[in-house]
Amino acid sequence: MSANRWLATGNYFTSYREEQRIFFTSLDKTAMLLFILALFAWPLFFHVGNKYMLVVDNILVAVIAVMGLNLVTGFAGLISIGHAAFVGIGAYTIASFASVLGANHILLTHAWPLMIFIAGCMGALFGALVGLPALRLKHLYLAIATLSFQMIFQWVINFMNFFNQGQTISIDRVVWFTGQVSRREHYLFWYYAILVVIVITGFAVRNLLRTRYGRCLVAVRDNDRAADAMGMHPGLTKVYAFGLAGFLAGVAGALHAFLYRGVGIESFTLHHSINYLAMAIVGGLGTLNGSFWGPFVIQVLDLQVERLSEWAGAHLTFAANLATALKPLSFGLVIVLFLMFEPRGIANWWRITRSYVKLWPFRY
Amino acid sequence: MKKNNLIKLTLLLVAAFMLSLPVQALAGKVYKLGLSLAITGPTSDAGHPYSQGVDDYFKFVNDTKMLGDDTIDCTIRDDQYKTDKTKQNFEDFLDQGIVFYLNYSTGSTLALKKDFEEEKMPVIPASFHAGNLIDSHYIFLPIASYSAQAIGLAEYVVKNHKGKTPKVAMFIHPSAFGRGPVEDLQKAVAAGLDMEIVEVVEHGKNLDNTAMLKRLVNKGVQYVISQTVQSPVATMLKDATSLGLKANSFGEEGKLTFLGCHYTGGNDLVALAGPAAENFYWTTSYIITNEPSPGATEQLALAKRYNRGEKAANSHNYANGMMVAQVATEVIKRTKAKGKEITKENLYDELQNMNGDNAFFPGTTVGPVTYSKTDHAGVDSLQLYVVKNGAFQSADKPFIPEYTSKIK
Repeated sequence: MSANRWLATGNYFTSYREEQRIFFTSLDKTAMLLFILALFAWPLFFHVGNKYMLVVDNILVAVIAVMGLNLVTGFAGLISIGHAAFVGIGAYTIASFASVLGANHILLTHAWPLMIFIAGCMGALFGALVGLPALRLKHLYLAIATLSFQMIFQWVINFMNFFNQGQTISIDRVVWFTGQVSRREHYLFWYYAILVVIVITGFAVRNLLRTRYGRCLVAVRDNDRAADAMGMHPGLTKVYAFGLAGFLAGVAGALHAFLYRGVGIESFTLHHSINYLAMAIVGGLGTLNGSFWGPFVIQVLDLQVERLSEWAGAHLTFAANLATALKPLSFGLVIVLFLMFEPRGIANWWRITRSYVKLWPFRY
Repeated sequence: MKKNNLIKLTLLLVAAFMLSLPVQALAGKVYKLGLSLAITGPTSDAGHPYSQGVDDYFKFVNDTKMLGDDTIDCTIRDDQYKTDKTKQNFEDFLDQGIVFYLNYSTGSTLALKKDFEEEKMPVIPASFHAGNLIDSHYIFLPIASYSAQAIGLAEYVVKNHKGKTPKVAMFIHPSAFGRGPVEDLQKAVAAGLDMEIVEVVEHGKNLDNTAMLKRLVNKGVQYVISQTVQSPVATMLKDATSLGLKANSFGEEGKLTFLGCHYTGGNDLVALAGPAAENFYWTTSYIITNEPSPGATEQLALAKRYNRGEKAANSHNYANGMMVAQVATEVIKRTKAKGKEITKENLYDELQNMNGDNAFFPGTTVGPVTYSKTDHAGVDSLQLYVVKNGAFQSADKPFIPEYTSKIK
């Protein structure tokens, strides 16, 4: 280890324990702390309209969901095309409570952190169940199995009266120490709530990756037979990867339900599953910070393309269909371009930038 | 020299500033409205002309100074038929300080119902789903609900069917939009409407309906009432024609007579189905431009004034958009005439007074728009149209379905 804990240059490790540190230098730790503080502080200094606050909240919810997807697809190498269904399980757990107990039941309005946790557990349960075929299936076959789950989920929700046949099931406003969260502060309140969940889950995932259980995921992804030979349990690892992904997806779903104050099937379709996958790819599969970059870039791109489509629809009236096609076109193009030219995603650009800063001012 | 120029420039600026002051003082008020709908994406074939109807009418209001110096500024946003986007747009409109909101889809209207209640925002959606009005005080349907439309079609079947109890199938969209009228039609049957609902088919994205059509005929079904959008209906009509199962006259025995609610018909259906659209029965509360009327003339003139193509000008969805803009303008006009401030609360109150002698006749509908504290469905009258020689024409006089009030 470098004598100066603030300098990255000259860093070396004398034990595995040191190598597994969350922050390599004090500078890293301070920068992260300041960044988190900034995330908490900026809404106090800059006023953002509800529309954009909702967009920001959406990005944060997607970050949690993509973190889960990255665990199962990025770290464990198990393709999941049904991730939106797991998010939906979380959301519909909340909706089920609302249907049975009433939208304004104390469990939902007061004990909402507990409800979010329960929704996560339901997501984990379903994740583990869907993960069972992973014991026997790999690659495309596993992708088809997860796709089937997505289809079954949509079908069940769409046709069961209990789930209002996919139409919105309303949820009341939650209560905080200051009383019921009003309409004006709704999106800001959920910004902070989701941010807290992200900080907790972010550090939890980072910690997991330092443990033997986290390294098992990577080992099984790289070569499950070799992992088996080394004494790991590839089957169990795959199931718990799905379970963990399901938990984070369930938490994201519950947050989505509270944020929108309602749950409807159209937020958890196959399209959304592909969207999550795109976020993970663009952000960088198998990296933690990729789970943050992906949702941010895709949602911002979405907003910009939306504006462009609106403009094209208004000014190029002869090409209304072109405006309709702009969104899927740009979305598909971004994924293809990333897969072709930067398969490691934006996380790789971040890594290169950090390396440059780490070595600066010395090139070697 | 330089000093002189500076003085001149300063004087010029001061004069310009002084001149601008009275102009600002004289400028009228701007009333902010918002419309979120699917201009692109699913159902944009209906949403696009709808948005043009709204846009053109508000331009017309401002250009002709219908509200004096006051103007309407209606922001139109594309939500791509996604509830999440609609919510974003609605929040944006609230930030802008809108006093009236125009919404589009059934899903988003149901999802935002609580927001409308909390904001006390008067809303007219393009969805005529009767469920929109349940537990809602601020949603106003522009015309008769899908349920009323389906019941109206069923009443026409019962009235004109020869023989025993008519057997009917429903062909519906797999969503709240499609499912909405099913229960109410079943209630009407239970209340004494003499027909039998043999099957309710929720269509998928089938490109072929042979199996379904043959099954319906085997079950003795003679009438198919559709509550969906045009394209699945067009596919069904084409299949029925190629199988020789489509009735050539109303209620032809052993064949199927097809009928549909508002969003199943219009010129787009004729364009999609071609000759197979012949004898398709369609109900809506809007006038059509195929038949001369003051409303049709006004609609065509408006579209011409703002350089819209033939397709938009003759679209019932253009009429639909134009009509909701007419209602919004009228309610602003009436509130202004009473000397009240244009606020969402006052517009809401005024909208509820739109009945009796205060009923509004927009011309684009077959009956007057009436709202009250207990009735939030605008135009109660329906018109039945049928395709003859490749164009829709009136099949009967405007009517109000009887069973709609019986099942309440």
